[in-house]
Amino acid sequence: MANAENKLLEIKNVSKHFKVSEGRLKAVVDVNLDIFKGETLGLVGESGCGKSTFGKTLVGIYNPTKGTVLYYKEDGTPMEINKKTLFSYSKMAQIIFQDPYSSLDPRMTVADIIEEGMIIHKMYDKTRRKERVFELLELVGLNREHASRFAHEFSGGQRQRIGIARALAIEPEFIVCDEPISALDVSIQSQIINLLHDLQKKLNLTYLFIAHDLNIVKYISDRIAVMYLGNIVELASSKDLYANTLHPYSQALLSAVPIADPDKETQKKRQILEGDVPSPINTPKGCPFAGRCPYVMDICKQEKPPLEMKQGHLVACHYVKDK
Amino acid sequence: MKGMDVRMSKVLEVNNLQVSFDTYAGEVQAVRGVSFELEEGEVLAIVGESGCGKSVTAQTIMKLNPMPPARIKDGEIILNDKDIVQATEKEMRQIRGNDVSMIFQDPMTCLNPTMQIGKQLVEAIKNHRKLSKDEAMEEAIRLLKLVNIPNPEQRIKQYPHEFSGGMRQRVMIAMALSCEPKLLIADEPTTALDVTIQAQIMDLLQEIKEKTNTAIILITHDLGVVASMADRVAVMYAGKVVETGTSKDIFYNPSHPYTKALLKSLPSTDMDRSTRLVSIPGTPPDLLNPPVGCGFASRCEHCMKICHEVYPYQFDVDEKHVSACWLLHDDCPSPKVGGEK
Repeated sequence: MANAENKLLEIKNVSKHFKVSEGRLKAVVDVNLDIFKGETLGLVGESGCGKSTFGKTLVGIYNPTKGTVLYYKEDGTPMEINKKTLFSYSKMAQIIFQDPYSSLDPRMTVADIIEEGMIIHKMYDKTRRKERVFELLELVGLNREHASRFAHEFSGGQRQRIGIARALAIEPEFIVCDEPISALDVSIQSQIINLLHDLQKKLNLTYLFIAHDLNIVKYISDRIAVMYLGNIVELASSKDLYANTLHPYSQALLSAVPIADPDKETQKKRQILEGDVPSPINTPKGCPFAGRCPYVMDICKQEKPPLEMKQGHLVACHYVKDK
Repeated sequence: MKGMDVRMSKVLEVNNLQVSFDTYAGEVQAVRGVSFELEEGEVLAIVGESGCGKSVTAQTIMKLNPMPPARIKDGEIILNDKDIVQATEKEMRQIRGNDVSMIFQDPMTCLNPTMQIGKQLVEAIKNHRKLSKDEAMEEAIRLLKLVNIPNPEQRIKQYPHEFSGGMRQRVMIAMALSCEPKLLIADEPTTALDVTIQAQIMDLLQEIKEKTNTAIILITHDLGVVASMADRVAVMYAGKVVETGTSKDIFYNPSHPYTKALLKSLPSTDMDRSTRLVSIPGTPPDLLNPPVGCGFASRCEHCMKICHEVYPYQFDVDEKHVSACWLLHDDCPSPKVGGEK
């Protein structure tokens, strides 16, 4: 899957800072990442770690404070994302939001919501657009009759389907799924996961799948990046990450997730992290995880570990040895 | 062994509880006949999707939902050998805190933002116990220590906004424990928290259960949380308990089609994308007009004619393992779903 020619996005040293009254809030810090065509990259981390900010930066909702995002066009030529290219890029990259209740305009019909993107990007004529709306509704498992209704007439799972149809309307290549299922009930979650998976196969989509439910991320992703305080601390294939977890934070995160299996739960040794995630405002130098890490060494407080290849993973940790 | 206490005294017994809300649209039958019981030191998890009536059941045990619009139509709630359905608000005030207390989903909104943490704890303690102000303050510090808050002496002078989400949930637990209740109701105690903080809080609840032998009702939709804490599980769907059993019964030998589908819809750790997740088609029924028969019938792959017409009896699958599904009836022609995995 990780094939260099297949690069879709190249993220170089991207940082996103916000000015707040107490100083600078570093939401995303120096992220270097490639996203390949057709893959699902999972992004996990606790709330406030910057994963949504990163996702929004990738679709151009935020401008990065530092660094560049390169988008590789069909012919392989790179295009830098900036103010000039943002409009044409936005046709390629779309986002599905977490909350299906607040992300749909309550005063627009479903057809209007889905059609809007196509009008903005001057796609098709009026009759074809109407047809496309029906096709998209059927694609995401809704009916033609739903087109004239308003968002409040639907359940959470159905609204999320409308959100997916809206994102697909302009035929993007890349979709950021920002916690698309965390607002839904368990029995509805699997419906949406299966739908996203089918659409990916059918339309050859690339996903950045942001979530805090690690079981779901493992299931859906080819590769997983673990984020802590705006830094990517570990990046590996989904299988490797779970089989051989290297970064102490990833280990704690994975062991904290309860499994729906009582026997495994009683046997499992849960590694409990002390304390809370520190504030991303005016972070100290050194490793961002040093304050909570059970294996902390002197160097961790002095020097920030770079993200380097160790034991087949990209991992940012002084403690992890390269065998 | 979990729950193997010698003094197995019954703390709570709920019989055929029915709760409705009178709204402009009509009567919403949120809880339609729920029965369960709980012994000392036992953790009962009530699981179900949003709107299945699990929180209403819990709030009714505390009688926290405003009446009207809520109304207990029928049933009894026997707490420490006393039926509290008829209890007045004045009596309830004594029962809440002393006999049963509750922690909520959202620790951000449950504390008074204008009062120091210590004062809020002292207020709760002095309401129920005859202690002087200084003694109550000492008790508050002891409670904060119990829930593993570092530097409690300094922390009691701080305000809620100076506490993180996990710390606030600890304060809520300390407050709930201040009068040593026999029963603690935890309504989605970790839903608003991150996984690493969730692990801390679950660990704390487990520790407290062992120290104080409090019975806990854990309300959640996260089956992982259930697996790690519960002794027994009640699965709710559309206002009714469809299956009860020990944690092992439910996870390893589920009998009701809803429980089975729910468990299968979760990706297991050794699963990849080549195996499709099982999804339950459709949505839960509208409780304004609940179905006459089984609430799950319209989404059930094994649905029979009788399922739409008559609500199934409670069938014994095993000792302590009960399931409400017609497939378990002796005359059911199709291969039994109960028993197999």
